Amino acid sequence: MTSTSAATTATRSDRRRRLRLDWSRAHGDEQLRIRGWRDPDLVWLRSAAEEELSRRLAVVATDLVEATRTVRDLPQVAGRFEVDGDEVRFVPRFPFVPGTSYSILIGPAPGGAHDAADAEQWTIVRPASSGTPARVLAIYPSAGELPLNNLKLYVRFSKPMSEGWAVRAVCFRRAPDNEPIEGVLLPMDPELWDPERRRLTLLLDPGRIKRGLAPNREAGYPLVEGWQISARVERTFQDARGRPLGAAAERRYVVGPPVRKRVDPAKWQYRWPPAGSLKPLLVGFDRPLDRALLEHCLSVVDEAGAPVIGRYSIGGGERWWRFAPASPWRPARYGLDVDCRLEDLAGNSVSRVFDRDLTLDEDDPLSRARVQVEFSCESPGVSAAAGVRLSRVSAGLSAPDHAETTARTASRSCSSSQTNSRHARS
Amino acid sequence: MTTDELKSATTGYGLAVGTPRLKSIGPITFSPDGILFVADSANATIYAIDVRDTDAPSQSQPVEVDNLDVRLAAYMACTRDDILIRDMAVHPTSMAVYLSLVRGRGGSAIPLLIRIGEGSSLREVSLEGVPFSQAVIEDAPGDDDERLDTRVVLGDQEGEEIEVRGIRLRLARDKLRTSTVTDMAFVDGMLLVAGASNEEFSSTLRRIPFPFEDEARTNSLEIFHVSHGRYETASPIRTFVPYGDNLSVLASYTCTPVVHFSLGDLKSGTQAKGRTVADLGAMNTPIDIVAYQRGGEEYVLVSNTRHPLLKMACADIDRQEPLTHPQQPVGVPREALPQQRVSRMASANGAYVLMLQQDEAGDLHLRSYDSDSL
Repeated sequence: MTSTSAATTATRSDRRRRLRLDWSRAHGDEQLRIRGWRDPDLVWLRSAAEEELSRRLAVVATDLVEATRTVRDLPQVAGRFEVDGDEVRFVPRFPFVPGTSYSILIGPAPGGAHDAADAEQWTIVRPASSGTPARVLAIYPSAGELPLNNLKLYVRFSKPMSEGWAVRAVCFRRAPDNEPIEGVLLPMDPELWDPERRRLTLLLDPGRIKRGLAPNREAGYPLVEGWQISARVERTFQDARGRPLGAAAERRYVVGPPVRKRVDPAKWQYRWPPAGSLKPLLVGFDRPLDRALLEHCLSVVDEAGAPVIGRYSIGGGERWWRFAPASPWRPARYGLDVDCRLEDLAGNSVSRVFDRDLTLDEDDPLSRARVQVEFSCESPGVSAAAGVRLSRVSAGLSAPDHAETTARTASRSCSSSQTNSRHARS
Repeated sequence: MTTDELKSATTGYGLAVGTPRLKSIGPITFSPDGILFVADSANATIYAIDVRDTDAPSQSQPVEVDNLDVRLAAYMACTRDDILIRDMAVHPTSMAVYLSLVRGRGGSAIPLLIRIGEGSSLREVSLEGVPFSQAVIEDAPGDDDERLDTRVVLGDQEGEEIEVRGIRLRLARDKLRTSTVTDMAFVDGMLLVAGASNEEFSSTLRRIPFPFEDEARTNSLEIFHVSHGRYETASPIRTFVPYGDNLSVLASYTCTPVVHFSLGDLKSGTQAKGRTVADLGAMNTPIDIVAYQRGGEEYVLVSNTRHPLLKMACADIDRQEPLTHPQQPVGVPREALPQQRVSRMASANGAYVLMLQQDEAGDLHLRSYDSDSL
């Protein structure tokens, strides 16, 4: 058995005993070791059945002690007490929580009063976790302007995080006084995390965004057009080990007009690469798109529908997507495959307007799972590219050298179930 | 449990004795004969577990527990802040209360089930060697899912090496997209599962036949609702309850409308349109819905983050025309009940409603209300 006593301190509330508490580990179990018992204690401890020990002794988080004294008996604790020589060990069913103060409560002797208020209390603090604190890697959208009906916010962390902090430690603030804007974010229970709890998805209250609903009529949009705001992640946000962030993080925005049109690949701008080159395919969007969905809703396929291997990057405030092939483009036809779940910042997807106005024919939903934009890579000097609106190509696009990039591959396969693809061009 | 008893428990439902390895825990619900369904979003799996709770109910009404949060924290040797209660369900015969909860946070979080029985006793529901089966949520991404976030990495510490047309790349695949189960109900041999994606904003309801088949297949249904006759929209279902001999479902969305749809609608096609019957207003989020009987009539209760506990008559819901005019009062008549700060609720065979209730000091208690008093 190993023990750690340097970091532990015990406090006492009763002078009759001088108990010493420390943490120890045996057979893979974390234990709380309690020594310094008086001889009469030891006589009883050694003879008591485990059930009797559990009735008279309890190890609980110290902040429960006041509340515990409102109940008649010592609380039921999952774990077991072991008596070995002159020491008592508590082996909990659930591991002790780092940074938490624990108390051992010792009830009155059998035959005495049964009020937990009479319990003797000794306290020790479990050492806090150490290591580098987590930090916020990014807040999305990264565009400078949010539409009035912006729906989502993503926060990427450098380490796995704790649940339960999303609404407490993330907020919107309004310039210039930096006052929090109340009621913007929707409390979600459970919160929306990726499996590693590194990426948090927050929803702006959809009831206030959707036209016609009572929340929208009564309280208006969560944001106001023209406001300068910031999305802020407070340092209090705890990582998986219960430690705060290394620093708070924020991203500033101005609130622009609402967006209520389907995402339409026919309105994007394209710069098609020449055959034989490794030049990237560049796709510029007519509005910023949802960062998370952009990461897996676009891919490039060859004539046979097989994925083209390469790297993609996203930038310009989620306004462009660039794909660089791992091997040179061949003089052949390719397709940009678009998953119709791809959304803009306001939740409008390729399929549907977020809150569709039934009186507008142009808002009719698209009953397809995917669309495909075809293009041809021609030999240098040949300007035609079948299936491409050349008039839309490259205008307004700039080289994304300075922008954030993520090395990625478009490895997604296109299965036979995607036969409902169509050309986005009219 | 004896071998014979285990065999008996596993017959009929295709259950096999083993140990479900939960990575997370969310909504739970019982079938009428005591099979507990447990949602594990991180594993994209629903487990059906025979909890072998054969205790006869020892008292006429379900248990009540004062200071439930303190007792849970004491039991699990942590603070009250270290516990997140996910859901509550009542065993149909023993009337014991089951809680799904998470103890601790982040990587050290432990998902578990707690049973509250006679005398307010707490115990962990062991999942070691229990009869169970499982169904994978079909459209949640698996480990080989094409929607994984695939990164090219340097070094050899992570990922796997592949060769594409003579080029060697090392790829790491991170699963970013998840489907979080928000509520479940068991209806006539069918498990209904509502979920929310952490990416696209949609409304899907999965239907999983039980017993789960060998390769449990689920199908999902998109549900739209119309706001005031003009705006059609989708939204994740936050909580729902079947009622009316399981012919109807009342659902509450993250965008607050309360929507009715019939189970018949769910049995056909891949899309359904619900009928918006109430609109609960701003700065409020419904937490839970439960159905119960009183005087031969059926009612539902809706607990809310800001509004009081609301009671609606199912007959009024059935009569309610789709909302077409955005004026007050909006939709089905409802009555505010005096129970304060109610979060999770569960029906005990329709005769009692159990509620997790905070008092003014913030302490959490488990309360049981006779349906005739509601």
